Amino acid sequence: MSMTEITGKPSFVVMQIGRRHFALPSDTVVELAPPVKLHRFPHNSRLLAGVIVRRGRIVPVYDAASVLIGNSGFTQRFYLIARRRFGNSTNFGAIPVNGECELASGDVLPPSDDHAAYVIGTLAFNGEAIDVIDFNALAALNSPGVAESARAELPS
Amino acid sequence: MSTTNDSAAKPRRARNPERVILFYVSNQMFAIAAEAVQEIRSTDSLAGAAVEIEGCEIAKVRHTVERNHHTYYVVSGCVHFNLPVTRPTLVLILRRYRVVVLVDRIDRMAEIPAIYALPSAFEGDERRWYRGLAYIDDNVIPVIDAAGFLTASDFEQLDRIVKASAAHRELEGAVQA
Repeated sequence: MSMTEITGKPSFVVMQIGRRHFALPSDTVVELAPPVKLHRFPHNSRLLAGVIVRRGRIVPVYDAASVLIGNSGFTQRFYLIARRRFGNSTNFGAIPVNGECELASGDVLPPSDDHAAYVIGTLAFNGEAIDVIDFNALAALNSPGVAESARAELPS
Repeated sequence: MSTTNDSAAKPRRARNPERVILFYVSNQMFAIAAEAVQEIRSTDSLAGAAVEIEGCEIAKVRHTVERNHHTYYVVSGCVHFNLPVTRPTLVLILRRYRVVVLVDRIDRMAEIPAIYALPSAFEGDERRWYRGLAYIDDNVIPVIDAAGFLTASDFEQLDRIVKASAAHRELEGAVQA
């Protein structure tokens, strides 16, 4: 039984990146992976930091912190693995986090007017209004086609 | 209907294990199929045979080498992969392409049981550079696509430059004679 079924409200995984909290809808989250080796190799996909190997799979790691807080997040060694859609198929992607993740439920309020495309709303969490992230939209910033528009969305 | 794309996540089982050469460019290990490499030589052994290309816009190619009446293009592995430039000591002479790749050193030959597809999230030039990824000794190593060093249009451009340069040299020779 999911958290949504228990409380009647949508549930989220709240993660800490830097000093800020962000939420991902819990149905997109696969697992919180322990610190594992980040394998790096040359590429020019702007948001990718490398890959991790988890349960026999090679999972790309997104440097989400560079978009969400403007700093690279590689002091954070745990990985939140989430699903990302590619057309009709779904792949996994990992976001480095500090390991302190919580399950929360609540109603999502509309995002602010000047919100980035990957913010789908705000959630009240411990007295703080935190951004709810659409991982698919965040990961799409990695595509070469959206690189230019994405720069405008990076926090200053 | 939504399906999980296993091809990006799980190994594509090869029918037969593949022999690869593991080598370094700028402290980064790569693998290339052993059958894609004709010969490995030291850069010193090629030094006398290499001819500089002038007026070439392809930064990773600065020299040519004549082999078996064909012009081979010398590609800097560092520049190709956007890595810090180091001093190469070896060259990989490819089998099916007129390409000679400058590399730092050979690590060893190895047998890999499978090549993992490059995850779809990788959307840049690396899709042309790599056939996939190998998992060797707890390391993920990119497996190079020998066809990815120079595109057909790169070859056309380079062939044009080399041809024009040869014609220029012939003309100069005729004038001097």
